Amino acid sequence: MSLRSYSRARAVHVMLVYTGGCNGCDIEIVNSIFSPKYDAEQYKLFLTWNPREADVLVVTGPVTKYNEKPLKEIYNAIPEPKAVIAAGACALMGGVYKNINGDIPSEEIMGPVDKVIPVDAKVPGCAVRPEDILSGAVAALPKLLEAK
Amino acid sequence: MNSNQKPSREESIEAEITMGPVHSAAIEPYRVRLFVEDEIVKDAEITVGINHRGVERIMEGLPVEKANSLTEKICGICSNIHLWNSVMVAEKGLQIEIPERANYIRIIMAELERIHSHLLYLAHGNEVLGHETFSMRLFYIRETVMELLRMIGGNRVQYGVSVIGGVRPRCELNEKRIKKIREGIDFIEQKVSDFANRFVADPMILSRIDGICSISKKDALRLAVTGPSLRATGVDLDLRRDMECYQPFDFEVITQEGGDIKANLLMRVLEIPESIKIIRQALNNIPEGPITDRTWKMQDTDIIKSYVEAPRGRLYHSYRLEDGRVRGSIVRTPSMSNIGAMQYAVIGHHITDAQLGIVQCDPCFTCTDRAIQIIEI
Repeated sequence: MSLRSYSRARAVHVMLVYTGGCNGCDIEIVNSIFSPKYDAEQYKLFLTWNPREADVLVVTGPVTKYNEKPLKEIYNAIPEPKAVIAAGACALMGGVYKNINGDIPSEEIMGPVDKVIPVDAKVPGCAVRPEDILSGAVAALPKLLEAK
Repeated sequence: MNSNQKPSREESIEAEITMGPVHSAAIEPYRVRLFVEDEIVKDAEITVGINHRGVERIMEGLPVEKANSLTEKICGICSNIHLWNSVMVAEKGLQIEIPERANYIRIIMAELERIHSHLLYLAHGNEVLGHETFSMRLFYIRETVMELLRMIGGNRVQYGVSVIGGVRPRCELNEKRIKKIREGIDFIEQKVSDFANRFVADPMILSRIDGICSISKKDALRLAVTGPSLRATGVDLDLRRDMECYQPFDFEVITQEGGDIKANLLMRVLEIPESIKIIRQALNNIPEGPITDRTWKMQDTDIIKSYVEAPRGRLYHSYRLEDGRVRGSIVRTPSMSNIGAMQYAVIGHHITDAQLGIVQCDPCFTCTDRAIQIIEI
């Protein structure tokens, strides 16, 4: 392991972007990193709100019309190497809001997330469980560490 | 302004500070414009609608059971109360009498959810205040409630408890579960009182919250503030006292004076023991019997309206039934009414207190962003 990947593995910064879900996934993600029970900070996984500092982007929600442009801008602002985790049923397939088999297809939802930005890891659940967030972050790590 | 023309000391500088839709201080996407003069906020404007998903439009024409489970997805913090109120609309319309035991289980869930919502509010408030230790402490206490909710409903956030006619069979409370709930609420009561004693004894915290961003009683009524934010200004108004399903329980309605950040925070701290009191009474007197009434029949109804007291205030749901399908659904959430208070509370205060002044009203913009503007031509 090179010195670069050694030090990268010890300071992974996660940025959470909320694109219009129901708040449930976001609180669970903040909970999994912040709260004393799950405490991802002990594995050197930190929460940040600055895209220029972040390594991993966690996206929740089905990407509403207004959130599409900010999401792309945030994705472009993150320096390489970067990984994207789509968390929750809404981020994976639009969730209940997309109204997939319904009579009126929803016009408000531009998602799922992989239509807007490339996604590396997917975490299912409604709402996601804190344990799954940690395993999703672990799945996204090789992309960060193997980059030159 | 020309760079070599420095403003004199007497001259005030006017500026506009815009935050959002994605900003570090606000977890949810919303936009705030603060009009500042010498670091004092002169006017504020909050724009919502960034995460508009059109839940009411998707509900149009769905079978009533499906539409009810969709209302749960309006909010991830107070999901149960949305589902309960939506189910209550159908029950009022179809004249269904739910079994007594189902009513008790619903109230236990609603009060557990109120505790978790208030603890989340306190944790978020402390994080914005800059006191991360308290915030982590409160997340730790909240974890107990989340585990209880997972035990009863099977999920940590979206636990569909209420169905038309009662509660889901999975949410039956047996002896083992009742014992666990008792242990959980004892733990929460003790930890919250420890937190409260430390919180009010800290002069550093009090200097940041005492008398800051206050709303008077008159202004609160004028701005149609609801819920704990209204009670923090001294108005004694709680819908739970008038609701029929809360009649068997004995509890006090907490009020505070001043309507500032301190009153708002203490309001939530003091409401948690009252919720625990209701849960204890419900666990002690829970009647035996069935939990679901399956004998009801579907029929068409007029527009039915229902109000309940959500953790954030008064929540309104209404729709009418046509061939078992939902038509013309309207949801009004408490945060919608409280936006006026958020804009008003920060005026005249320092720019550093602005975010705290917005957070003091317990904003939930996911709830709020459903409104459709109807333009008459």
